[in-house]
Amino acid sequence: MSVAEAIRERDAARLPGKRDEDWRWTDLRGLIRQVPPPSAEVDPAVVGAGPFDALTDERVVIVNGLGAVHIGVEPGEAKVVVLRHVSRGDGAHAARVSVEVEAGGRLTLLESYEGDAGGYLAQAGLLFSLGKDATLERVVLVSDGAEGVTVSQAEVELSPGAAFAQTVATSGARRQRIEVRVAHPGGHAGLRLDGVYILDGKRHADLTSVVTHAGVDGATDQLAKGVVRDQARAVFQGRIVVAEGADRTDARMGHHALILSDRAEVDAKPELEIYADDVACAHGNTVGALDEDALFYARQRGVPEPQARALLTEAFIGEVVDRIGHEPAREIVRAWVSERLGG
Amino acid sequence: MAAVKQTVDHVRSLEKYKHGFVTDIDQEFAPKGLNADIVRFISAKKDEPEWMLAWRLDAFERWLAMDEPDWAKISFPRIDYQDAYYYAAPKAKAGPKSLDEVDPDLLETYKKLGIPLREQEVLAGVEGAPKYAVDAVFDSVSVVTTFKKELAQAGVIFCSMSEAIREHPELVRKHLGSVVPVSDNYFACLNSAVFSDGSFVYVPPGVRCPMELSTYFRINAENSGQFERTLIIADQGAYVSYLEGCTAPMRDENQLHAAVVELVALDDAEIKYSTVQNWYPGDPETGKGGIYNFVTKRADCRGDRSKVSWTQVETGSAITWKYPSCVLRGEGSSGEFYSIAITNGRQQADTGTKMIHLGPNTRSRIISKGISAGKSTNTYRGLVSAHPKARGARNFTQCDSLLIGKTCAAHTVPYIEARNGQSVFEHEATTTRLSEDQLFYAMQRGLSEEEAVQLLVNGFVKDVLQELPMEFAVEAQKLVAISLEGSVG
Repeated sequence: MSVAEAIRERDAARLPGKRDEDWRWTDLRGLIRQVPPPSAEVDPAVVGAGPFDALTDERVVIVNGLGAVHIGVEPGEAKVVVLRHVSRGDGAHAARVSVEVEAGGRLTLLESYEGDAGGYLAQAGLLFSLGKDATLERVVLVSDGAEGVTVSQAEVELSPGAAFAQTVATSGARRQRIEVRVAHPGGHAGLRLDGVYILDGKRHADLTSVVTHAGVDGATDQLAKGVVRDQARAVFQGRIVVAEGADRTDARMGHHALILSDRAEVDAKPELEIYADDVACAHGNTVGALDEDALFYARQRGVPEPQARALLTEAFIGEVVDRIGHEPAREIVRAWVSERLGG
Repeated sequence: MAAVKQTVDHVRSLEKYKHGFVTDIDQEFAPKGLNADIVRFISAKKDEPEWMLAWRLDAFERWLAMDEPDWAKISFPRIDYQDAYYYAAPKAKAGPKSLDEVDPDLLETYKKLGIPLREQEVLAGVEGAPKYAVDAVFDSVSVVTTFKKELAQAGVIFCSMSEAIREHPELVRKHLGSVVPVSDNYFACLNSAVFSDGSFVYVPPGVRCPMELSTYFRINAENSGQFERTLIIADQGAYVSYLEGCTAPMRDENQLHAAVVELVALDDAEIKYSTVQNWYPGDPETGKGGIYNFVTKRADCRGDRSKVSWTQVETGSAITWKYPSCVLRGEGSSGEFYSIAITNGRQQADTGTKMIHLGPNTRSRIISKGISAGKSTNTYRGLVSAHPKARGARNFTQCDSLLIGKTCAAHTVPYIEARNGQSVFEHEATTTRLSEDQLFYAMQRGLSEEEAVQLLVNGFVKDVLQELPMEFAVEAQKLVAISLEGSVG
């Protein structure tokens, strides 16, 4: 069962569906009867600029899948790289990206998913590998079309002392899954996995993560927040596994959602799977409406209701955005959030 | 320090599983195996009306078409359903009318159970015994039901399921299977086909049941799975508190226990259901011989403002697989789930609850405390869901897990499905080990390591123990200590 395989073989039966526990809330098999034919080739020159283009000259653009891409950072080197996944038209496509940051290297990866109004099926498989004491910050802005289906699947391999930080901000798609699986070796490696979703219409977004702590002294910090309106549906699945012997693991996970309409839906499954005893693991999950008291307070101070709602929602999401380390990227994400919430 | 000494003595006396013994009473077995004829045999043995037999046969048909589920985090050798007995009744002389007619061996069993229960006095017919109604289920058939008269005065019906089928068919037909449908799941379906006996409670409108009702289940016959079927109905404005406690004898072959418990609460009714379960957990080294406890418990809060509260202390069984649930249908109805699950040795527990919010302004609260020690696995698995119509639904969930030792495992698998914008769901979970500082402090004050652990563990589970009726709380506190025996040092 893999999306990449289903696209390659044009076999819808290989798509994961709601009978697969990991995909119970993001059913692709029930949605896609037939895998569309391969997407047409498009000249990267005609797709326009990406959201992070102004921040660096080093850019990798993948339009409608096509081939494998490698991004490398040498020992001690520091880089900012833009990686764009662009989907155009109705076809199906898959891409493979490998990112390697060697010992002591530093990479800021500014990744974007950009779709048009087409009914495309896109898959991206990414492999991140970090050497000793390497750092990577991944900022992902996902702006799919309302008819698109996108699956992004990242595998992360960390070395001791390395630091991987990720922030995903998405507005969803017809069906969309942003997945990350991390092999955490402990050894004072640090991991941050954040996410933001702002969904309206009939859009769907699924943030899934699996972190496996295999060695002593590992830390994981995860915070996801989102807002759903209209008939949108958000899915959050986070699993933290602490293997036998992975003592002194410190893992925290938080997921908080606001439902702003009676037909929207949020499904969450924050999981802990612990096989070691000297650990401190916790997760918190809340789903609810905007705090009426805060709203009342703001209105009583003279802020009209629509603005008061926008203000409170922005503050709610802002907590995640504030954690982005790369300042220019942070401001781009912040502007993107404001625009989404304002509309 | 009297309490500590008492606990220590108790632990010593329990080097061997105290309830591991088999009483030899003549049993009347159905032949081994399971087919439609066995279902007919069970039904005939119990003098059941035609509609009941048809219901069972229908369940059996459906069961044949189902597959055993495998999603829980538990592992066990495949069960050979044809290699078990499905009916075993004590050869009681055609239903004893008084205690004199009760098999003395049976009364001896109660003694051996060490039930300091005043219930035993009640069973022995001691005058002035306190008012506990006991429906003693001895291997599948209710043998003695006491206090029926006093309950009858209040209009409460408390009897065995077999009797209810004969005496109150209209109530049974109306409600049996209305909460847990026949083909709800594999084990519930099996139970529907072959259920042996169980308790039936009906509390009429406006009646507060004058006493705590309690049933002591006991698995006794070699190799006979026990298939309890319990149905409790609280009519409008009624209140009932029901206690269930379990022990089982030691043996080598795994035993299957697949009970079904259905609770129905109508308008303004309240049901409190408490369980203490300490069935034989199997050999601590090999895990051999323990009970398989695959239970379906569900409450239907059908009426407005109805309330159901589940409290459980699960310390026994080789495998526990149960999710006492509440379907919150009535407006303003509420459900509670308080659980302590302790696993030690090779035990595996996959337990939790489902709170299904269907009606507006429904509330639920989940407090789960899991403790794993030895080489055991303890999983909390729960679902909280709100239907689009469940406006104003509220849930609070807290799941804490405690790990004692390097070889045990604790998992938390909550599912949250929110489908409207007027609900508030909060969930918190933590997994830690006992605090070194607290242990050090307690030991530095003169407690041994084992005593210190017991003290801290009792503090950890206090929130749940408080929810138990008094007479259960004392027993449960001891059980918590005993269950963790040998897990330290």
